[in-house]
Amino acid sequence: MRGLTASKTVGLLAILGVLIGLFVFVLMPTFYLISFTLTQWNEVYIDVFANPLIGDTNWQQILGYLGFSLRLAVAAVIIDFLFGIPLAYFLAYRRFPGKSFLEDIIMLSLVIPTSGFGVATLLTWTGLSGIGGLIGRSVVEVTYVVPLMNVPFLYLLVHVALTFPYVVRTLQGKLEDLSPAFGQASRTLGASAFTTFRKIIFPLAIPALFSGGVLAFARSLGETGATMVLGGVMPTAPIAIVRWVSEFKLATASFLGFLLIITATIAILLVDLLLQKRSVFRMPRWKFVSKVGKCVLKVEKKLSGRPKWFKDVASLGTLFIIVILPIIVVLFSVGVYWSADPDTGRVQGGVIYQLFGPSNYFNTLMRATLTSVYVAVISTYIAACIAVPSVYMIKRYRAGGLLRYILRVPLIVPSSALGLSVLLLWGPSGLNLTTPGIWLIILTHIVFSVPVVMEPTIAAYEGAGIPSYEGVARTLGATPYDAVETVSLPMLKRGILAGVILSFTRSLGETGATFVVMGSDVTVPPLVVNMVEALAFPAALFASAYLIALSLVLLILFRFLVRK
Amino acid sequence: MPEVTLKNLSKSFAKGRIVAVDKVDLHVKDKEYFSLIGPSGCGKTTTLRMIAGLVEPDEGEIYIGERLVTDLPPEDRDIGYVFQQYALFPNMDVWDNVTYGPTVKAWEEKKRERIGREMLQMVRLYDRLDAVPQELSGGMMQRVALSRALAAGAELLLLDEPLGALDAKIRNELRYEIRKLVKDLKLTAVHVTHDQAEAMAISDRIAVMRKGHILQVGSPYDLYMNPEEIFIANFIGESNFLEGKVSHIKDDTAQVSLRGDLEVESSNIKIAKKGERAVLAVRPEAFELAEKTQKLGNALHGVIERIRFEGTDIRYEIRLVNDDSIVVVRPSLGGEWFEENDKVTVGFDPEKSHLFEYPEKGLRAELELE
Repeated sequence: MRGLTASKTVGLLAILGVLIGLFVFVLMPTFYLISFTLTQWNEVYIDVFANPLIGDTNWQQILGYLGFSLRLAVAAVIIDFLFGIPLAYFLAYRRFPGKSFLEDIIMLSLVIPTSGFGVATLLTWTGLSGIGGLIGRSVVEVTYVVPLMNVPFLYLLVHVALTFPYVVRTLQGKLEDLSPAFGQASRTLGASAFTTFRKIIFPLAIPALFSGGVLAFARSLGETGATMVLGGVMPTAPIAIVRWVSEFKLATASFLGFLLIITATIAILLVDLLLQKRSVFRMPRWKFVSKVGKCVLKVEKKLSGRPKWFKDVASLGTLFIIVILPIIVVLFSVGVYWSADPDTGRVQGGVIYQLFGPSNYFNTLMRATLTSVYVAVISTYIAACIAVPSVYMIKRYRAGGLLRYILRVPLIVPSSALGLSVLLLWGPSGLNLTTPGIWLIILTHIVFSVPVVMEPTIAAYEGAGIPSYEGVARTLGATPYDAVETVSLPMLKRGILAGVILSFTRSLGETGATFVVMGSDVTVPPLVVNMVEALAFPAALFASAYLIALSLVLLILFRFLVRK
Repeated sequence: MPEVTLKNLSKSFAKGRIVAVDKVDLHVKDKEYFSLIGPSGCGKTTTLRMIAGLVEPDEGEIYIGERLVTDLPPEDRDIGYVFQQYALFPNMDVWDNVTYGPTVKAWEEKKRERIGREMLQMVRLYDRLDAVPQELSGGMMQRVALSRALAAGAELLLLDEPLGALDAKIRNELRYEIRKLVKDLKLTAVHVTHDQAEAMAISDRIAVMRKGHILQVGSPYDLYMNPEEIFIANFIGESNFLEGKVSHIKDDTAQVSLRGDLEVESSNIKIAKKGERAVLAVRPEAFELAEKTQKLGNALHGVIERIRFEGTDIRYEIRLVNDDSIVVVRPSLGGEWFEENDKVTVGFDPEKSHLFEYPEKGLRAELELE
């Protein structure tokens, strides 16, 4: 009996260890930021609402930034829906060669280094290097603002490109799970393809639209890196946090971070509440609908008869323009700018001069690469150590669902607010364990890496049917530990590896949070932003291309592992 | 006039590697209850789905009535389709499900209401019209699905394993209800099932499919009494197969010499050549069973190896003197009673046996279900 108790004790200790790791590394920073704002309310109040010098100017600014960010996020989500719905429909119901490549591209949008992507978009749409080269002038100015929505065009473009995968992937998953019989039944009852979509498929997919939309919303709300590159126009809330931190206005910054976290959390909670109450949405019966119904049905019938490729081409075209084209342009432009600025012919405007000339950006870039890799390796390693046992706890214990739920928090916290929270907790004004620099970056990256490693591992766990195999191993005489080591871990290996690569890629590309906590240990993505701000555009171009190429290679590795 | 005609219909999947339906010709008559049966993977469901327009054929033509519908989308074919898994729209209540067809066809409000009410009353679910599908039992859901298919005004009803997901008891009740509805409303029905007993019980005619081909079309009686192929003799009901050689033919009757030189006679000859290998098919219920000493026509001797009491019937597994094994089924209340290891005589009427050519691929391969 003593042996049993001993092993139980070890088990309990292990669980406790993982829980502590989860709490300390992953959850505490966010909670601390929230509690900081509440406990230091007096200081915050004075800074924000009653500054002796500037009165409530800070509050006015916060309102402005927050309003703008919200507007941008809502606009991005609306556009995500407009082109994500047909794209998801296309991916869910069509078999065609190159489909997995298309899915990779959508995946790429999730892990692409945002500041590099910002440079790519900037290059594609302004100046003469991108599309502008074809028509002989800049397509849009950076300052062009989309009418009605009142958000800068390029902001919107970047935010859509970085958020639409959330909509497409959740919706595609839902559509693939949906029994094809519903659509077929509707068709046999006399409804055209369009009517079927409107009356059957769409209502059934609404929950997925909500959950994908809210993730996209949160991501847009927190997007920092790409927006900063385009940032001359209007600062968003996350950018304001970065600026305030660099000006040591921590109280004001933390209050804005607090508001961002609260906004994202409320959005998610609302959606969850909505979805919990009803997983199936019934459309209300409107009287006027039945009156215009006849016309609507006729139009839908006509549209259904049209060649189906129209909407496919439209959504694929959008995908190409906002995601693929910038990547091609940035990779291509490195060659164009290689030796000299193509427009002026000045050698000083060339990539070579900037990298190896007096400013010696090559050296800086290599140093930043080293820092980036160092951060990515350590934070991914620690995250994996926390995430893999957490997967066991999530799947084994009844409270696991709650744990999984809580672990979504780091995914929705806007990245610069996340950086700020880590800075506040571990940095000089909090526990004072470390100052801004590489360790603080690592602590920040662990926070979002844990859920990133966890999701593919959970998927592998569920897909492989681990519990039954472990059960078999136990009946054949394996101890619980043996069963995990000899049966489960080998089966989970691919899932864990996939998660590790994703988290590594994400860490390499992270911009917003890193900016806040990096001090003088610059990683590559913030370096890109710095280069843009220092007007060293060719250097930024090279660094972006380099980052994007790196993440492409990692993504290919990821797909290779997942598919096998 | 909803008759269905299929001409040279073919469909393959996975770039031609899997041939699901291979040059099928079929005619379903107006107001007929027609069943397509066969083992899983035989192409029966694919055929039905092609009639509905849910699967596009690779070649061939489909006529519903006089109309060529091969290239029409499902919504323009005027059919009713009933799915195995009901496929009731979970985002609508019973009433909206049943009136879905009239709604999307933009029928007048009054007509819509009337038809919805009639159809629901017909399946005795009018009092549940505001229930959501998830609250109903399987049998109720299928009745709603049935009335939904009928409410759209189709005269051709296509049923894809409609009873497959239901419990045995409900399955038996509902199959007669479906047939009655089809007959009362003077519809044509094409019913796909792998359950031959179900098809036998409700169909006017049945087509037996195997590996993408139609083997035989006929009434349930025809298929049972005159199977044209060994496979059908086994698939419709069951049969004992005894291998042997044709030793003599005279008029309609052949003398067959089984293994161990046991001589029997058979009247339904599907081959006619003397001296060839043959397979004799006799249904378990065609045998008579008696004590060893008794005389029977076409008598064979053996020992009862095992007895299974199945309620209505008793199954005897008997090893014949030539070491062939057969199954004999007798009614439990037939008056006779045997024990295991009893030595017995079995006999059968030559009229109730069938003689087939020995299949090229071998008997076992011929009977395979896959």
